[in-house]
Amino acid sequence: MLAYIVRRLIQSFVVFVIVMLITFALPYFEPGGILAPAYIALGNHATPQAVHQFGVQNGYFHPFFVRFWDYFLQVVVHFNLGYSWKFTEPVWTLIGTFVPRTIWLATLALLLTVVIALPVGVFQASRRNTIFDYSMTNFLFVLYGVPAFLLSLFMINWFVFSTFHLQLPPTGGSSLQIFTDPGAFAVPVVTLAILNLAFFSRFMRSAVLDVLVQDYIRTAKAKVGSQRRILFRHAFRNALGPIIVILGLSIPGLFGGALIIEEVFNYEGVGYATVQSAQYKDIPTVLGITLLITTFTLLGNLLADIMLGVVNPRIRVEGR
Amino acid sequence: MTQYGELPTFSNAGRDDSSPAVEAEVESAVVPMWRQRLRIFLQNKLAIASVTYLAAIVLFCFLGPFLWHTNQTNQAQALFQPENAPPSLHHWLGTDGSGYDVLGRIMFGGEYSMTLGMIAGFITIVVGTIYGMVSGFLGGVVDTVFMRLLDAFLSIPLLFLLLTLITIFPRTATNLILIIGVIGWFANARIIRGDALIIKELEYTQASRAMGAGGWHIIRRHVFPNSVSNIVTVATFAVADAILFLTTLGYLGLGIPAPATDWGTMLNNASQVQPFYWWQVYPLAVIFILVIVAITYIGEAMRDAFEVLLLER
Repeated sequence: MLAYIVRRLIQSFVVFVIVMLITFALPYFEPGGILAPAYIALGNHATPQAVHQFGVQNGYFHPFFVRFWDYFLQVVVHFNLGYSWKFTEPVWTLIGTFVPRTIWLATLALLLTVVIALPVGVFQASRRNTIFDYSMTNFLFVLYGVPAFLLSLFMINWFVFSTFHLQLPPTGGSSLQIFTDPGAFAVPVVTLAILNLAFFSRFMRSAVLDVLVQDYIRTAKAKVGSQRRILFRHAFRNALGPIIVILGLSIPGLFGGALIIEEVFNYEGVGYATVQSAQYKDIPTVLGITLLITTFTLLGNLLADIMLGVVNPRIRVEGR
Repeated sequence: MTQYGELPTFSNAGRDDSSPAVEAEVESAVVPMWRQRLRIFLQNKLAIASVTYLAAIVLFCFLGPFLWHTNQTNQAQALFQPENAPPSLHHWLGTDGSGYDVLGRIMFGGEYSMTLGMIAGFITIVVGTIYGMVSGFLGGVVDTVFMRLLDAFLSIPLLFLLLTLITIFPRTATNLILIIGVIGWFANARIIRGDALIIKELEYTQASRAMGAGGWHIIRRHVFPNSVSNIVTVATFAVADAILFLTTLGYLGLGIPAPATDWGTMLNNASQVQPFYWWQVYPLAVIFILVIVAITYIGEAMRDAFEVLLLER
């Protein structure tokens, strides 16, 4: 098991370095070249000489791989992601402010999704090809087609501005406000949960269906187990494996969905910060955040694999 | 699932009784695969409805402006129109915050959204196909390197990568197409590589290789033609995704700059006022959601047509 984890860790690290290489290379393609930060940092004093001097001081004229090595050390050894031009703060400080908010939002939404989606999926699978199953499938299909931004737009309109007049999350403040003042966060959390609902319950339905055709279910039926017992003792438990994996794999989607919801609800999380810095061409912030979310994604995949290895010993051997 | 089925000439070799039954069998075997798939596709009523709807929307966007004359580009002229006016005989769907006619703007923005989405989706499928085919077909070290690279691409959340690229490049229509094209192909490449891996090992490919065919010939004559159906299905989803990405960007205020517009930018403008004016959001939202659902449904129906055929054989 340990060897398996170590091997997956090394693989993840290689992927991480490749991602870093890609994100680091991107500013080279910018019109104005890699010296673009100089013009923003120097403002009105950006004479050609000053820009050149800025480039020399910050090592912009070193070869690509020398610069990359410095950046690599800066990020991996010193945990320094650079300095944000827009927020005039180190990127890490920004991340420390914005990321916890997103994590709470995403975690609560994910919990809500799972609590709703699992029973719906199991119920659909157990009543396959009934009217309930068909109507639920079609409803979820349309829901799946509703883009995140439209759903958020409708939700904020119905529940905050026009029909129900609920609160919006306050701007700024501690990330723990979501617990002290839950009413103000209800709408964004529910929106994000609805957004994930279609995907998860569809997945749960097919996972349970896959299990229901197995031989051991037939055996259980032959032993005249009750329907409920078969469903929850045998089918649900065995369908949990894929669900664990998909939970791990859903992390990037969760952040992506949160990005749009944060933007619509003015919830100052990491997605909001990204959109803000994207609009102001604040490259270090966008790169730093992208790198961080990538790390989360990799960790999520890793965790999913390890959990799966724990649940199902066959995987460990196959992955070798 | 070879394209030519079990070759009838082989199974009938040495047999001289060509009974009508055998003849009919031979005949059905030579009906082109695409026609059999089309038959199954056309049995799906929702799929036909989706195709009809899409065709109607395309006509609406591209031919509509010839019947419904509105000013969509002249900002100064729009200033003379009432802003945020509710639907009336003169403006069937009212006007937006700048005084543009909303019905005409849905057509105008739709032209951009659909054209750009189609082209971007097409790019993702071309790049994904080439990458996937090369990786799957060559195998070995190339495959390993290509797949690890793909792992890296896939672990960057797409929306964040999209924003990074938008930050770096100037926002023009061409760049938007290229950026969405560049981030969209990762998943396609993986699917098509899987296809290539399977077809590479099939008997007819091996036979072709045994007769001395080169790699390029095998890709061109065997691997590619036999994964076309899958590629077309993947392409459908790719176009839906591309339109979705483009609209999301527009909604985040990062769409096509004025005087052009797209559906996302229109929705962004409409949402600047809260509570928004219903005529600026709901008609467009319904049209847009149904476009996405229709394209996705066509994709699923094509996949079904492909799978049903496998079951029938």
